[in-house]
Amino acid sequence: MEFIFYFGDVFTPVNFALLLVGTIGGLILGATPGLSPTMAVALLIPFTFQLEATQGLILLGAAYTSTVAGGAVSAILLKIPGAPANIATTLDGHTMAQNGQGTKALQLSFLSSAVGGIFGVMLLIFLTPVLAQWALAFGPSHLFWLAILGVTVIGTLDSKSVVKGLLSGCIGLWLATIGFDDIMGAQRFIFHDALGGGINIIAALIGLFAIPQVISMFAKGRRGDGAEVMQVQKHSVFEAIRVLFRFPRALGIGMSTGAIIGLIPGVGGQIAGLVAYDQTKKFSPEREKFGKGHPEGVVAAEAANNAMVGPSLVPLLTLSIPGSPTAAVLLGGLLIHGIFPGSDLFDNHPDVAWTFINSMLIGQVLMCLFGLYVAGVAARVAQVPQSVMAAVVLGLAVFGSYSVQSSMGDVYVMAALGIMMYFLERFGFSAAPLVLGLILGPIAEANFIQGSMIANATDGLGPYFLGGALNLFLIAVVIASVAYSAWMEVRNRRYLSKEEILV
Amino acid sequence: MSVMSLPRLQHIVASGCVALVGIWVAYLSYTQQPSEAFLFPRLISSVFVVLALWTFAKACLGWTKVGAGVSVHAFVNMLPGLLIAIVYIFWGAKALGFYTATAIAFFVLLSLYDPAPHGQIKSWGKRVLITTGFMGVMYGLFALLLKVYTPREVLF
Amino acid sequence: MKKLLAGAAIALMGLTAPVLADDAYPERPVMMMVSYGAGGATDFQARIVTMTSGNEDALGMPIAILNKPGAGGRVGWNWLATQAEADGYTLGAYNVPHFIAQSIKGGVSYDIDSFEPIANWGADPAVLVVGADSAFNSLQDVVDFAKANPGKLTTSGAGLFVGHHIAALQMEKAGDMKIAYIPTKGGGAAAMKAVIAGEVMAGINNLSDAFRAREAGNVKILAVADLERNAFLPDVPTMMESGLDVDNASVNFRGVMVPKGTPQPIIDKLAETVPAMFENSRVQGKMKSGGSPMHVMTREEVQAMWAQRQETLTALLAGL
Repeated sequence: MEFIFYFGDVFTPVNFALLLVGTIGGLILGATPGLSPTMAVALLIPFTFQLEATQGLILLGAAYTSTVAGGAVSAILLKIPGAPANIATTLDGHTMAQNGQGTKALQLSFLSSAVGGIFGVMLLIFLTPVLAQWALAFGPSHLFWLAILGVTVIGTLDSKSVVKGLLSGCIGLWLATIGFDDIMGAQRFIFHDALGGGINIIAALIGLFAIPQVISMFAKGRRGDGAEVMQVQKHSVFEAIRVLFRFPRALGIGMSTGAIIGLIPGVGGQIAGLVAYDQTKKFSPEREKFGKGHPEGVVAAEAANNAMVGPSLVPLLTLSIPGSPTAAVLLGGLLIHGIFPGSDLFDNHPDVAWTFINSMLIGQVLMCLFGLYVAGVAARVAQVPQSVMAAVVLGLAVFGSYSVQSSMGDVYVMAALGIMMYFLERFGFSAAPLVLGLILGPIAEANFIQGSMIANATDGLGPYFLGGALNLFLIAVVIASVAYSAWMEVRNRRYLSKEEILV
Repeated sequence: MSVMSLPRLQHIVASGCVALVGIWVAYLSYTQQPSEAFLFPRLISSVFVVLALWTFAKACLGWTKVGAGVSVHAFVNMLPGLLIAIVYIFWGAKALGFYTATAIAFFVLLSLYDPAPHGQIKSWGKRVLITTGFMGVMYGLFALLLKVYTPREVLF
Repeated sequence: MKKLLAGAAIALMGLTAPVLADDAYPERPVMMMVSYGAGGATDFQARIVTMTSGNEDALGMPIAILNKPGAGGRVGWNWLATQAEADGYTLGAYNVPHFIAQSIKGGVSYDIDSFEPIANWGADPAVLVVGADSAFNSLQDVVDFAKANPGKLTTSGAGLFVGHHIAALQMEKAGDMKIAYIPTKGGGAAAMKAVIAGEVMAGINNLSDAFRAREAGNVKILAVADLERNAFLPDVPTMMESGLDVDNASVNFRGVMVPKGTPQPIIDKLAETVPAMFENSRVQGKMKSGGSPMHVMTREEVQAMWAQRQETLTALLAGL
């Protein structure tokens, strides 16, 4: 309950002003294509040099929470996920925006972000010591199985065909191996200089999602129909709250998945949204509506994204180990003020620690209020004529992918992947499983190699990867997931064989 | 489907391309050195090839169920835009500088796909205005706020 | 708006002010490539030591950090050697012995002749750490175990052919033993996590990170791979003191360099101003509070250090 004593500190004029700046600035940065939360927080670090420790952390904490939520804005309106965390949000969110339900989608995304976010920070406040042990429980073998679990999700994710979903996933897994391999340092599949550094995930995301959309707009030609005549439906906030609580299952699955996955160092929030989306879809009675603009998908994905923020800081704050790149940047923000995370932080600087955590709590609320306020206006983006939209998205894609690491190579990779993806999509492949493969590939590979090195030095491969309760549990979940997918495929086939469906 | 339809032919070509990529990746994975660094690629590419060949076989037999292919009409529509985008990204952005190239590409694409008649002065004015506004936002966001130093060959 | 105009006016004055040819540099912000991700030790220190570069007595222009992480730094240094423009506006951060060891091992497009050193800001020795509840209490315990169980002592480190790996190789050579070195993907932080979580029996890590982990009560630091004890850890013996003949070849020197081909006047100007920038009291204060040991060296000193490392490492890696 200690945290309540420090709530007052958040509301001093300077601190609150910083909180506002961090939240609103974070939303804008998060909505900018190419700027992941990690980069956004890193950009703010120089400003904190001038501030006191507490103030600096308020700014960084607020920015972290709101960039994650801000990524949903560009995901819903432009189909450009700001970060891997927002991929799942595009699946239903963008479709909703295209149907004129952009306001509703944005409102739901901000509301579920806030609910998930507050849940996550609450976990951070109350369960930190327990959670820290959980975070440490995941060694290379467990992370390997977790990545494999992610791979099994690939087949059922946003794809009408399991085989093509898996094939898309394989393409993604292969693309992830391009470049220097991380452990041996060997060069793999580098057939152009632009690929020397491997495929940057943010640039790839922009290309795979935004470019196919630009090309489909081109394909419609000079037409006056479509977006122009579409009405953006008004949607009241109260109605949105009512809709949100119509999906308690999505909210619950999203929050718990986000919190659990967010805790695990090295996996971070990248896959939380996708896994939560897939799980919600499997448990939902309306699963066939997913991917066609179903609000439940947005709720699950965004609740998961923000629920992961609080827990992702547990390893940092208690063990001084940054569990995610963003946490690593926050670590820098603490260190420049001479504060070491761990017992030092909570014993000697409780004001800094708790004000920081409280500011994330208040930041969630502010982010939600501000987001709800602009949702109605922002949704009008869907009314922008297609000709303008295509050119805007193309320009943003080029600038966004360049700004990731000031590299022309990333822009080429973005464009090449994007054009390839357009044609693949026309033949039933889809971007989401491909991206999931791209994210999971390095996690699976590095942990397998590292695990097998440890195993060879100790008790051998079999006992290392197959022994222990956690390994067995994860393997059981993997098997269940595969069995479920197979069952769904059989059921769908029976359904499909009645009529040829050419979408 | 008794006659080889256009989508079916396209599916054969598309899945054939994917299968070729898969075979090529597998070939490289099994031949490149050092072999321990290619352990994981070998695993992936094996699964890749199997799935790709399966899809290819299904396409040849006309069993493909999803994906409508690209119609001639859509292809003709997208071609100019696609070409402009390719020239812009792979040549213009670097050679002319980001802002110049983006302004030109933006304006040309807009004019090409804008349903408003090309005869009116008013619609041209509107396009110039939109382009200027967009470039202003991009400059403000990326150059002033984020301080990204993009290639600048011509003008700014 | 007023502010904007005022800013523009200042910028114009800056442009039109009479300047000598050499002094014109830098006319715009300078970029510094860091070949590790945002939040890593090198990134963190690079951001601190460059924070005063906008001051008039330093470069007068800010230095922006550009992260190009991947494969233990190879991606970034390859980019700097082959693709970066040598116009003085692209600097790079170096980590010795990492890039030298990688260039000796091969498979990359750079070596010490691809770059021109400017100045060194820090020296972070490698240390041997074990979990707080580990049975090992001294370097001797570790050596005894490794000798009794060849290849069974799992030891984490940040990657292959980085300082940590060099230290492990030197330990193997000095103690005539075989240890199982486990490179981790996520850099020093992931290697430290492996030690704390008990996934490995020991770890070799940066002194600055290990110092922090020890403050948090998570690890024991058994030895420092340097010639003398470190001011941050006066109670921790060097490896030599503990009877293992390991010198300072694995000490992680961090500094600034430029790609070969950068105009000589610019190199001279940087070599003159950058060390002074590192000596700035604000920089020193922030580095100290962050637990990062500083060690400022001039261009000539760095050139000598690079040449010497090249020799040592070639000899060490010859047998592999």
